[in-house]
Amino acid sequence: MAELQFREAIRAAMVEEMERDATIFLMGEEVAQYNGAYKVSEGMLDKFGPRRVIDTPISENGFAGLGIGAALNGLRPIIEFMTFNFSFVAFDQLINNAAKIRYMSGGQFKIPIVFRGPNGAAGQLAATHNTSTESIYATIPGLKVVAPSNPDDAKGLLKSAIRDDDPVLFLESEVMYGMRGEVSEEEDYLIPIGKARVAREGTDVTLVAHSKSYWIAMRVADRLAEEGYSAEVIDPRTIRPLDVDTILDSIRKTNRCVIIDESNPYASISSEITYQIQDRAFDFLDAPIVRITAKDTPAPYAKNLMAYYMPQEDDAYRACKKVMYVD
Amino acid sequence: MAIPVEMPKMSDTMEEGVLVSWLVDEGAKVSAGDVIAQVETDKATMDLEVYDDGVLLKKVAQEGEAVPIGGLIAVLGKEGEDISGLLAKYGGDGAAAEAPPKAPAQAETPSGDGAKPTTIAPVKPEEAPSDGRVKASPLARKMATEHGIELSDVRGSGPEGRIIKRDIEAVLTERPAAPEEGKAAPAPRPAPRPVPAPAPALPGEAYEVVRLSQMRKAIARRLAQSKFTAPHFYLTAEIDMDKTVAFRSRLNALAEAQGRGKISFNDLITKACALALRQHPYVNGSYLEAEGEIRLYREVHVAVAVAVDEGLITPVIRNADRKGLAQIAEETRELAEKARNRQLQPEDYSGATFTTSNLGMFGIEAFTAIINPPNACILAIGAIRDVPVVRDGEIVPGKRMKVTLSCDHRIVDGAVGSRFLTTVRDYLEEPLNLML
Repeated sequence: MAELQFREAIRAAMVEEMERDATIFLMGEEVAQYNGAYKVSEGMLDKFGPRRVIDTPISENGFAGLGIGAALNGLRPIIEFMTFNFSFVAFDQLINNAAKIRYMSGGQFKIPIVFRGPNGAAGQLAATHNTSTESIYATIPGLKVVAPSNPDDAKGLLKSAIRDDDPVLFLESEVMYGMRGEVSEEEDYLIPIGKARVAREGTDVTLVAHSKSYWIAMRVADRLAEEGYSAEVIDPRTIRPLDVDTILDSIRKTNRCVIIDESNPYASISSEITYQIQDRAFDFLDAPIVRITAKDTPAPYAKNLMAYYMPQEDDAYRACKKVMYVD
Repeated sequence: MAIPVEMPKMSDTMEEGVLVSWLVDEGAKVSAGDVIAQVETDKATMDLEVYDDGVLLKKVAQEGEAVPIGGLIAVLGKEGEDISGLLAKYGGDGAAAEAPPKAPAQAETPSGDGAKPTTIAPVKPEEAPSDGRVKASPLARKMATEHGIELSDVRGSGPEGRIIKRDIEAVLTERPAAPEEGKAAPAPRPAPRPVPAPAPALPGEAYEVVRLSQMRKAIARRLAQSKFTAPHFYLTAEIDMDKTVAFRSRLNALAEAQGRGKISFNDLITKACALALRQHPYVNGSYLEAEGEIRLYREVHVAVAVAVDEGLITPVIRNADRKGLAQIAEETRELAEKARNRQLQPEDYSGATFTTSNLGMFGIEAFTAIINPPNACILAIGAIRDVPVVRDGEIVPGKRMKVTLSCDHRIVDGAVGSRFLTTVRDYLEEPLNLML
């Protein structure tokens, strides 16, 4: 094991895969000369040269389409969005082309492409730069959506995403790029897409949380443990396909669930998880499922309002007490 | 002004009633004193009367539904009246506060002459909302089904009285696997704190689930309370019944000639006990832990256990010490008949100061009975057997009966119980004394 920053784990995954497979290339704004807006691709231009590490103009719709075209023609592009907020400019490319060409061509074409970059809120960036996009993209059949919470998962899952023959949206986070963590040095370290991780075993309540929210869940679990309550924490890691079975197994044990998700609540990941649980584990529920999400508004700018807007640890803690009927 | 019709307290041990059938339709006019429904209590099926005139606006309780005391059964009022406010009052968190259980009239023990004994512990206020729905989490429902627990028997500790996992676990923990002496009395309702309960192995389809009747629940609750609370000890005596057998033959010859019903051995024993109770006041008393006192009743009311389809019930022969044998026989016969038809009224089965239980007709030689609280003792009566007895050095045929007195040691000690039993024996071995 090596201790790496989140950004280093992502870089390691890309470098290892690009060394393994010459059809893989990285393209995006400032990924080459500037070494990446968040220094994820630092040194990659020197290592692989300008044919495989390509700077683009500020034209997401253009370079997303270029990437899809390249994938159609046998390459395996990694497209970096400086943030997924900018992916909305390329919405048609992602939703109509990347997601649907394989279906509409009757399987004649596959789209082995990864769109990656930071997703979700990252402080005082105001309404248009703070969107959590996982619910938006996960609703589209044909797209896979991955959102790791730690460097090790990031490496293993990104390598799997790059090798996947379908379009994968790989969601990172500005505020997690500096996070350090042990990362496997195993050769060909692959974590399967669609497999959740039981991060902490418990018996009294299940916390489901991905990406940054996962860390809120772990803190809540610690607080509950101090009071003698045993929380199980599940990190889905992949938003679509969602590993519902692992969540259900946990619910059958704990009978209670709190979902933490920094997406807006309406028609979101938490809605979907809630639906799946009540559909398949109804008789195991001892309390209504509670979700702690961002507020149902655009993200505010003011620091105090932004803190209020985001899922809060105290709310998640109280929700756990509530579903355990110990509040 | 809409008038709520609440579940009344129809017996001293009742905690809830099951609405058996509606006799009036919604929209029908009713007058004070009209019977609108039948309610099954733990003891009997009884008529539910209304106390006001009006129109039956809504049947809140459904047939077959258990409603706690004070819970809303129906709403009376003027035609077309808005009752949503009243329903809301009973529906939400305020249900308990809005609909407190009526103070149990039977539980109040008047002082002075002829005081009736207290027969029950004070009733706990129900917190369950009385909108008629039993609220339970899906898991709690599943667990209740698996373990044959009636949800209406479980007090929900969740929001708005929702029954949740820990409430079912508490019931499972409380279920005594086998009655154990010296075990602390279980609370009648689940405690609010989570209690970890081992999940018992489920036998799957290997059993039939029988719904607990109100009577079965009452038997379970009261006898468990008795056995766990009152330290029982047992005194067995063998009684020479030769003279009583002969005495009864002569009595019944007279009764037949007069066109009266027969007098049973049990009637003679009831009379013997009643007379003996007058001489042994502690056996005719109660140890009341909550009140911190012993009560010695000035009247003698002997209850007789009667087996009925769903269990057993103990109708009471009031002032049995002052009644003649023919009257005791007639009353016992009538009460047993009413019991079997589930027509006993609360006054028929409450207020006993002593109880007898007879299994002689089954050929049972001797057995021990569980005290019927708050009695001090119960007499278990075995069969009269033809046995060889030694009289004046000769073996001759004799008639013997074994009786076993179960005593609550908190009020009756060994010597006191023995003296009582000796008196009973004296009466039965020389039954002419019953006439004095």
